[in-house]
Formats: sequence, C-alpha cells, structure tokens
Amino acid sequence: MPDPAFFVFLVVDGALAGAVYALVALAFVVVYKASRMINFAVGEWTMLGSRMAATAGQILGTGLGGALGAACVAMIGLALLFNRVVLRPLFRPSLLSLIMVTIGVGIFMRGAATVVFAGLPVRIASPFPADPLVVGGLPLAVDKIAAAAIAAAAIALLTWFFHGSRTGLALRAVASDQQVAMAIGIDLHRHFALTWGLVGVLSVLAGTLWSVASGGGFGIELLGLKVFPIVILGGLDSLPGTIIAAFVVGVLESLVTGYLDPLVGGGFSHVASYVVLIATLLVRPYGFLGRPDVERV
Amino acid sequence: MGGLGGPPKLPDARRRPGQAGAPLDFPPPPPALLEIRDLHVSYGRIRALQGVSLTVPQAGIVALIGANGAGKSTLLRAVSGVVRARQGSVSLLGEDLVGLPIHQIARRRVIHVPEGRGMLARMTVLENLRLGGLAARGRREAAADLERVFALFPMLYARRRQLAGSLSGGEQQMLAIGRAMMARPRLLMLDEPSLGLAPLLVREIFRIIPQLANEGTAILLVEQNARMALQCAAHAYVLQTGLVVLSGAAADLLAAPEVQRAYLGAG
Repeated sequence: MPDPAFFVFLVVDGALAGAVYALVALAFVVVYKASRMINFAVGEWTMLGSRMAATAGQILGTGLGGALGAACVAMIGLALLFNRVVLRPLFRPSLLSLIMVTIGVGIFMRGAATVVFAGLPVRIASPFPADPLVVGGLPLAVDKIAAAAIAAAAIALLTWFFHGSRTGLALRAVASDQQVAMAIGIDLHRHFALTWGLVGVLSVLAGTLWSVASGGGFGIELLGLKVFPIVILGGLDSLPGTIIAAFVVGVLESLVTGYLDPLVGGGFSHVASYVVLIATLLVRPYGFLGRPDVERV
Repeated sequence: MGGLGGPPKLPDARRRPGQAGAPLDFPPPPPALLEIRDLHVSYGRIRALQGVSLTVPQAGIVALIGANGAGKSTLLRAVSGVVRARQGSVSLLGEDLVGLPIHQIARRRVIHVPEGRGMLARMTVLENLRLGGLAARGRREAAADLERVFALFPMLYARRRQLAGSLSGGEQQMLAIGRAMMARPRLLMLDEPSLGLAPLLVREIFRIIPQLANEGTAILLVEQNARMALQCAAHAYVLQTGLVVLSGAAADLLAAPEVQRAYLGAG
C-alpha cells in the first residue's frame, strides 16, 4: 500500500545524501574543468580527507573545527605535492596516461591509508544530537540535515567563486582554452596548483560530512563509484548540471532502497544510478547540461 | 661643473656627435620599443624565419606584409612566445623576451591577437573582456577600460551577455581587439585583422587601428591587404620566404614599383 509519508521521507532522505554527493562530485568536476583530467581516485581522495580529519581530531584533541583545519592543511599539502611531483612532469600527457595515473594513485592511497592510519579511529564524532528531528511526523537525522546544509553552503560558495571572483574567472578561462588563457597572461601551473588545493579542501569537507552523515564513513572509497554516474549525467564540466544530477541520484537511490530493494532482495540501489545513466546517455550523450563539442569552423 | 651664473648646459646624451657643443632643439629619438635581431624560427625542417631584424618604435603602426607562408604570423608567434626562436633576440625596451613563458610576455603587455582571434567561445563577451584586463592591473582601471572599449565598439555592449562563440566573424574580431585593449598593451600585434570580413567591416577595423595608435599604443600589423596596411602604417617591412626583402617608410613602399607589382596588384 502506498504511504505518502514514507515517500516524502525517502525523497527528503535522498536529497540530503544528494547534497553530500554533489560536494564530492564537484571535487571531480573542478579538476576535469581545469585540465580535462578524469580523476578516478576521487573516492580515495575523499576517504583520505575523512581519515585525516578523524586522525587530527584524535591526535590534536581539538574540537571538530581544529581537526578540519589541520586536515585541510595536510590535504592541501598532499594535493599540491601530487600536482607538482606526479602531474607537472607529465605536462601535456595523453588522456589515457592521466587516467592510469589517477587509478594508480587511488590504489596507492588505499594501500597506504591502511598502513599509515592503522589503529587510528575511522569515526569522526558527530557534534550533532543523536535524536532524530521529527518534522511533520518524519524522523530526520540531525546529522544528515546539518551535513546537507553545510554541503549546500559550500556549493554556493564554490559557485560564487567560479562566476563572481577574478580568480574563478581565470580558472574558467583555463578550463575553456589553455592556449588562450596563456595568451592573456594567465599562469597555467599556478592555476592547476590552485585547483588541486581546492580538491584538498573539498575532500576534507566532503569526506567529513559523508562520514558524519553515514554514521561512520563505512565504504567511503566506494563514494567514487557513486560519483561517476553523477558527473557523467551532469555533463562532466557543468557545475549546475552536476548539482542537479547529484540530487537526482541521491533521491533515486533512496526511492529504490525503499521500494525496490525489499522486493528484489537488496543491493539494487547501488546499480540504479547506472541504469539511469545508460538510459540518459542514449538520449543525451553529453549529459543533462553538458555541451556537445560542436564548434564553428 | 657650470656655476650658478654659467650658461645652461645639456647633458652629453642630448648632443649629437656631429654637432658637438651645439645644443639640440629636439631630443634624440627614444629607444625602440621592440627590437628584433637576426631571428630564426624553424618548424621541424622548415625554416620559417631565416634571420629577420625589425624595429617597432614606441608609438605608431608598423606594417608587415608579404605573401602566404612568408613568415609573418611566425614572427608574431615568436614575439609572443608561442613558438621558440632557434636563434636571435627579441628585446622589449632592452629586455630579452626569448624563452619567457607565454603568460610572462603577455604580462609585459605585449598582446597578440592571433589569426582566428583566440576567443573563449563558451564564455560571454563581458567575461572575455574582463579576462583581457585580468593580467594587467586592478579593478578600478579595468572598469574604466571596459567603458572605453564599449564606447569604441557599442556592438560589444549590446551583446555583452552573449557567448563569444555565437558572434559573427566581424564581431569576434572587434571582441578580440577590445579584449587586447583591456590589457592596455604597450605593443599590440594584430594578425590579419581583416581576414574574412565584409568590406564594410574591413573599413571599420582600419578606422579603429589608427585610432588606437593615436592613443599611444604601438602596433605591429600583419596584413594580406597590403594597400590598407601601408596606408595606415608609418613604417613597413616586406617579408618573403622568411627574410626581410624591403623596408622603409610605408608611403615609400606604397609607391615602390616592386611592391605595387607583387602586393598591390598593379601592372
């Protein structure tokens, strides 16, 4: 029997997850925009961000704010190092070699994390009350609402940065045409470094929010698998497209978990977004808001 | 060491060697803005420039004419750092530009408007213009420059929210020149600004180029349309298979029989 309250609950719950997905997806999109690089390790970066935050919280003994700040510094450092030591020597590499690099770095991160973080806590203590907030009869986890709100604020800030600030404008010029960007005086390497610094911050923020919202951050590396349908649906280089796709996938997963999984025996929610992805690509090969590569000759 | 009551003396630098002692009534010519010496550029085995020397003074228009493949565009690319010179020097007020990264040369306000115009097609007209001024300086000057560009090209103001890629060829050329102006160029290098434009737009472009020069921008103009280029330039160079074969005052070249025969279509 259809229960409207259950439906609304699923939609709201899915949308809250979608906000955090969107943040992870944006960490992917900023890199793709700046350098056409497909970062297959975006899940691992996020995982590392959350482990850094958890570890910093444990070692420093500061509150969540201090832990996040320390983790951001560490991840920015790591991202800049990755850019300088791994990517920059490969200047103008092929698409395939970049993909292989990201996969390799992802595997390395996973392996190294189990060694480096051995014995350290995975969980980031949630600063929010554990009792769910009951809105109109729907029990909503305060963690999830707070995580979604913070993610939404971060996305708004990022959107402003790209469209309202001079540096964001320059980054979009780099994304649009590197030759032209150089010709108007933009230092490409400086802006690639900036992009990776941004990835460092986003991975800490997204990783922490995911960890808090999902109650422990189990399977956070797999977040990468959730992000691919989102970025492809969104059109790879469109910020609004990515945000829309993230909410679509979040809600879709939630609805499938609620309605279909009990029927088919569970687990279908992980596949559902890929089914929608294939269906969408048949109709719009460049995603919701991506643009086909057609130019005036 | 002239005392207080002695006659005024000019510093030695202001005397001409031939007129020792006599004070000058005009200062010596200022140093050249751009001094290209013996420039060689190759694309693989093809030698595009084989020892070109050229001077652009601090103000005015210098035209570079020649047939297709003579090396005109290569020269501009070598100055802006897009291609690397194999030999020779390109000095901007005494500083060698060879080997500097492209963005560093642009930051010295040497601005190249390439053939094909180099638009950021998926960004708006306004964003393209703002980006043009990004490297040069602060916000306030940028706002004033934007007004100047819009005054010169009212069409750009009308279309400021459109994507640059949606403009027509002539409009893109105006945008390219407008974006270059935003950088307040010391040297503006225009590659075939009239290429592919309707005659009316060509006239419009050639009305604006001297106007920019009058405002104090030095311009190095590459053109297939030799007549119009020579008419607005002060000096000109004729390039043939990577070498300068003729140079001099543009008016003299315009009258020279070999130029008329080869480039101006006269019998």
